[in-house]
Amino acid sequence: MSRTTVSRTLLATSVLTVTALLATACGGSGSTTAASSGGGKNLHVYAWAGEIPDSVVKGFEKETGIKVTVDTFDSNETMTAKLSTGASGYDLVEPSQYTVQQLIGQQLIQPLDHSKIEGLDNLAAKFRDPSYDKGNKYSVPWIWGTTGFAYNDTCIKSATSWKTLFDSAHKGKLYMLDNMLAAYIAGLQVTGHRATSTDKDQIAEATAALVKQKKILAGYNSTNYPQLLSSGQACAAEAWSGTAMAKVVQSNKNVHYVIPSEGGSIWTDGLAIPKGAKNVTSAYAFITYLLRPEVAAKATDDGSSASANQAARAHIKDKDALKNPAIYASDAAIAKADFLLDPGTAMQYFQQGWTKVKAS
Amino acid sequence: MSGRTRLTGRLPDTVTAWLARGVIVFLYVPIVVVVVLSFNDSDVTYRWAGFSTRWYGVLAQDTDLLSALRVSAEVGVVSATLATAGGLLAAMGMGRLGPRGRALFSGSLFLPLVIPEIVLGVALLSVFGTLKASLGLTTLVLGHLVVTLPYAALIVLGAHRALDPALEEAATDLGCGGWQRFRLVTVPLLKQALLASWLLCFTISFGNIVMSTFTSGVGTTTLPLRVYSLLKTGLTPEINALGTLLVLFTFVIILGAGLRQMRRVLVGDGTD
Repeated sequence: MSRTTVSRTLLATSVLTVTALLATACGGSGSTTAASSGGGKNLHVYAWAGEIPDSVVKGFEKETGIKVTVDTFDSNETMTAKLSTGASGYDLVEPSQYTVQQLIGQQLIQPLDHSKIEGLDNLAAKFRDPSYDKGNKYSVPWIWGTTGFAYNDTCIKSATSWKTLFDSAHKGKLYMLDNMLAAYIAGLQVTGHRATSTDKDQIAEATAALVKQKKILAGYNSTNYPQLLSSGQACAAEAWSGTAMAKVVQSNKNVHYVIPSEGGSIWTDGLAIPKGAKNVTSAYAFITYLLRPEVAAKATDDGSSASANQAARAHIKDKDALKNPAIYASDAAIAKADFLLDPGTAMQYFQQGWTKVKAS
Repeated sequence: MSGRTRLTGRLPDTVTAWLARGVIVFLYVPIVVVVVLSFNDSDVTYRWAGFSTRWYGVLAQDTDLLSALRVSAEVGVVSATLATAGGLLAAMGMGRLGPRGRALFSGSLFLPLVIPEIVLGVALLSVFGTLKASLGLTTLVLGHLVVTLPYAALIVLGAHRALDPALEEAATDLGCGGWQRFRLVTVPLLKQALLASWLLCFTISFGNIVMSTFTSGVGTTTLPLRVYSLLKTGLTPEINALGTLLVLFTFVIILGAGLRQMRRVLVGDGTD
């Protein structure tokens, strides 16, 4: 008896769901049509998880009546794949800086009409006219972070240079990020080159430095290195700024996050409008909304990320975050930091070199 | 003689018994850890900071995660239903083919099983791109069908092959038309297999990440995609809380309904 009931329930559920699916499908296409003809009452956003706080989305919906759908991706590549179909349905995407370059190259995003955006002046100097997108022609930076290193002062008194991570005095207590491009930031800068280098010989030099360094490393780690630093198991580790690192810097006074004197590097996730977006008016409205200082402040207060908006800093309630270098590195520290760019054809030199490092 | 057999038999028996225990522990430890850490008061999953149920409260408020859960459930139910229906039709159609046609048909049905899913995903994405189809629930279901259909066909075909053809013949002898025979004899006989296929397809669809990456669109971020994309900002015990509820849900389903059917099908007593 129970079996029959179960199969019936399953059948009923399935039928209900099919009906619901058809209903939503029809509803969805119907509203899209309405939006494209009626001036935009919808907005489809494709962003990194957690980078556009829910409070921001709700606030925008309440103020404008535009219905926002936010989908999240796990990597720039996933997002690029979707856009490359040409019919992704998204009106606003959030690529990282090197992906902005790639999307421009593949003609997947459209130039921004600056007359439809207010508040670009609020951006910090570093993000106005960045190297990867001259004049913010295609993208508006939203949040940012850095790649540097962190150390525990119980075993290293003070450190300001990448050389710390290449110093055999700390053998077996050093970690590097398990990430090719991140490792090469250190490798290139410690050998006196820029992190944006695409020169074959310079990359080979960096590879040699990284191979040599591997002998004194405890390992490559991009997951729990903040904890290793906190427990003292690691003396120094290459590190990404962000929530995990910031928590350790906050809770353990012995751990310090540093942008190395050689420059380190900086990344930013910005807003761009895909080619063929249907609700362009809504997308511009959302960009303008996100550029408001009090809204951008929520990226820090509700999302624990650093905002690219200079004017927002006065509105941030979490003053500790502003002082935490693992969230907001100081202006002086990032002055020399390069945006990592799309290495283009030099990618193969990095890949071959990294294979050599990993196999050594 | 018999004594020796017992002696030589005993040691390997003990070893296999312990091996089996080890395997079971290995399989269940992660689940136990997920459940325990869901009651963690800490902001991070890996450090214990006292008992708390606050993450269940956070979960109840998390509209993004809950809507991802809804999408996954919908897609799972629809694709499991369609895949099982497809498997049933395949089993019916197979009977009308000659041996060569049968080999060709079953070969083409099971081919997606041996093609890496990522290849299928990329291929589907280019097809959708060429057709200018907008990505969404429909493309997501189609993608999941590609993945689940072979499994459904495998189960239903196997069960159908094990049926005594005399039963269907008897039905015809007693005056059943094709549709009547199908409805009153074949489907009831295959009920266990259909349910097993549905549950398996639902599970596969619900946990799928590769195909979903390529075929999801506006408003259809599935639960696995959402959880995976959270890795960048760091997972909190909220994910454990969700995992615990899903484990609980699965247990209820398995204990309440699935266990008996699954066992019958797997043991091969398809005639029931």
